Amino acid sequence: MKIETLKQYLPENVKTGVSGNAVFFEVPASGIKETARELYGNKKLSLKLIAATDERETQGCFKVWYIFGVPGENAFIIPFIRLKDTKEFPSLTPGIHGAWNYERKIQTFFGLIPTGHPDPRPIILHENWPSDIFPLRKDFHWQTRPAQSQGTYQFQRVEGEGIYEIPVGPIHAGIIEPGHFRFSVAGEEILLLEPRLGYTHKGSEKLFEQLSLDKKVRLSEKISGDSSFSHSLAFCQAVEQLGDVTAPRRARYLRVIYAELERLANHVGDLGAIMLDAGFNFGGAHGARLREIIMQINGRITGSRFLRGVNVIGGVAKDLTGEERNRLSGELPAIVKDFSEIIDGAENSTSLLNRLKGTGVVPYEVVEDHGVVGIAAKAVGIERDTRADFPYAAYDELRPDEVETEQGGDVYARFRVRVKEVRASIDIILHALNKLPDGPIRISLQEDALKKDALSVNAVEGWRGEIVYFITTDAQGNISRVAPRDPSFVNWAVLGHAGPGNVVPDFPLMNKSFNLSYSGNDL
Amino acid sequence: MKMTLLWTIQFLSVPVISPLCAGIIKKFKALLQNRQGPGIFQPYRDIGKLLYKDEVISRDASWIFRYAPYIIFTATVVAGTGIPLFASFLKNTLTGDLLVVIYTLSIGTFFLALAGMDTGSAFGGFGSSREMTVSALAEGGLIFSLLTVALVSGTTNLFAGSGTGMFAIGRSFLPRILAFGGFFIVLLAETGRFPFDNPATHLELTMIHEAMILEYSGKRLALMEWASANKLFIFAAMASNLFFPWGIAQGPDTAAIIFGITTFAIKIIIFCMVIAVLESSMAKFRFFRLPDLLIISFILNVIAIGMVYPL
Repeated sequence: MKIETLKQYLPENVKTGVSGNAVFFEVPASGIKETARELYGNKKLSLKLIAATDERETQGCFKVWYIFGVPGENAFIIPFIRLKDTKEFPSLTPGIHGAWNYERKIQTFFGLIPTGHPDPRPIILHENWPSDIFPLRKDFHWQTRPAQSQGTYQFQRVEGEGIYEIPVGPIHAGIIEPGHFRFSVAGEEILLLEPRLGYTHKGSEKLFEQLSLDKKVRLSEKISGDSSFSHSLAFCQAVEQLGDVTAPRRARYLRVIYAELERLANHVGDLGAIMLDAGFNFGGAHGARLREIIMQINGRITGSRFLRGVNVIGGVAKDLTGEERNRLSGELPAIVKDFSEIIDGAENSTSLLNRLKGTGVVPYEVVEDHGVVGIAAKAVGIERDTRADFPYAAYDELRPDEVETEQGGDVYARFRVRVKEVRASIDIILHALNKLPDGPIRISLQEDALKKDALSVNAVEGWRGEIVYFITTDAQGNISRVAPRDPSFVNWAVLGHAGPGNVVPDFPLMNKSFNLSYSGNDL
Repeated sequence: MKMTLLWTIQFLSVPVISPLCAGIIKKFKALLQNRQGPGIFQPYRDIGKLLYKDEVISRDASWIFRYAPYIIFTATVVAGTGIPLFASFLKNTLTGDLLVVIYTLSIGTFFLALAGMDTGSAFGGFGSSREMTVSALAEGGLIFSLLTVALVSGTTNLFAGSGTGMFAIGRSFLPRILAFGGFFIVLLAETGRFPFDNPATHLELTMIHEAMILEYSGKRLALMEWASANKLFIFAAMASNLFFPWGIAQGPDTAAIIFGITTFAIKIIIFCMVIAVLESSMAKFRFFRLPDLLIISFILNVIAIGMVYPL
């Protein structure tokens, strides 16, 4: 990262701090709107995360951090504001739609009020949580059990003759995560769809502040179980930046291999599940079978089907033997062949294509305004991929030639993006296996060797989309705040936009084509 | 004596064999999808298990919810006595008329839809609304296809209709085939199979038949499941015996009856296979495309009738 090239993004005459690949600077609260508009609107940087920290004990203030990414430079620009003697901060939402839920979350968990925010309802925490207790403040002890509270949640309402509301969930007929969906329908047609989540809130962010470093890594694997490896990778890399160490080259290659195996398993599983939800049982059965093959490979190589316990600070814990390397190189082309036959079968089924095409269209503008990431963004042709924009691990050497995109933004486009990424993933793995360097797979990092009063941001392209971790340390070099952002948190906001104009029986198909994580959203 | 025995077999066949028919379809589907699948007798075990289970009935449910399973089950058993299974000489003039069979089954559908709405659950409500949409559109095709058979054979009694041999009247071959095409589409709609409904889905929002019985448990659920198996069996039997009346026993001769039972079993198994292949190889249709399919059924039958009476 060259600080010179980043100069153009920074306001003049501002005192900046540099921590790893992040440049941060203070802005007066009254000026944050202007700064954000400059970075987001004029300089076209993407908003990665807005997170707050409670630093009242040390500095007597709350801070709100606005993390913007500079694609291509692999750097993050982070203006922050200090909230001393006030609980209010100006809301960016009227200008930057993507700030909507971040600010709601800060309000719910820190009790800081974004003034001018159009939606004052709490997010994630429900009515049974007292509205005057803010769990991410430092003076809230993590084992506190507050008294039950009462209240009602105001869903958006559509009024008119013949309009009915259908409440669905939070418990569903299948074995899936809990979430509530409120449909307003006219006959079978969806007029409004509002998801309401928070049922799997586990207090993960608070727990990150309590656990030892090793356990923090394990916790990051459980933020969203199907992205265990990508989440722990983002966390480990962020901590490595704070410790000023880089994982050995072999470890970085192995991380690419494991991350792509995770993507592979989830993509083929999802492709099968999309076909199954359309009632195309042939594809459903084979998708599940292919996923199982890859999960078994994961289990064989690392001892964990979900690649848990593999990432450690400073590298990986599981090496790939020479024998395993050859075996995997032989297996993958066979999987590609198998996969292609199944996809050919699907592409030749008019009944399936009829269900997928034109269903659940999310317009380009909605995707762009919400800052949607991952498959849903690629499905409208946005070339946004962390592996290319912010190369991590060994992606600078193994970078895919291009970001796989589709046009249309419907279920079929999201289906096709996954098909393309499966092929690309296998190519990356084969390439990495071929070039796999020798050497150690981890270096040690002392827990007390982290930089003091520092911060770190790391982004990883999980199979769903971009995972971001924001970590700060205190004056002793202890981790004081971990703010993970699963791609689901951003993408849930646009699921509602896919609904209107479709019929109710198509909703499960749309939902499956996004396949967002409830756990990753609720934390 | 023999007639009493044959009538007992005819009467019991539908409720006794229908779960097996459902089990065979599930087994074929599993095999086609590279799965081992449950045994073909699993539906019997499921019904047996449910009959012993405790029930939960919503406080808001009225008598319709409580009695609907008995009415629906009885309707299918009564309809089952009106259709030829293995012997066409059992001339049932009481319930063997095609209109009696169709509307006995409609009584079941009517109560099923009412029961779906009775508890006030959103799923039951839209299940009923969808069921009514589909069955209203299917009714035309169903009546016209059976009417084709009636016109060809000169009687509206289904037993007599199946007594006329397939190639006995050469001119009736094509109308029968066309009417069968129309009838098969209706069969899939009425019995809640692909591409209309997915009997194996867990997605509440896509359900039709399953959404209506979502609130049932215990023995009432058993009766509902059993009744829907009966209905599938009745339609499969009508399809095989009215449109392909091979091998059906024409007189009370033991050899002919055994031959009739055997050919009937083979025809039913073939039907199960066709449905299993269909459900494994295609996707379910979008809800708003279903009327198109049902109108195709209607048109096929109109053409068939037109061919019976060339001007």
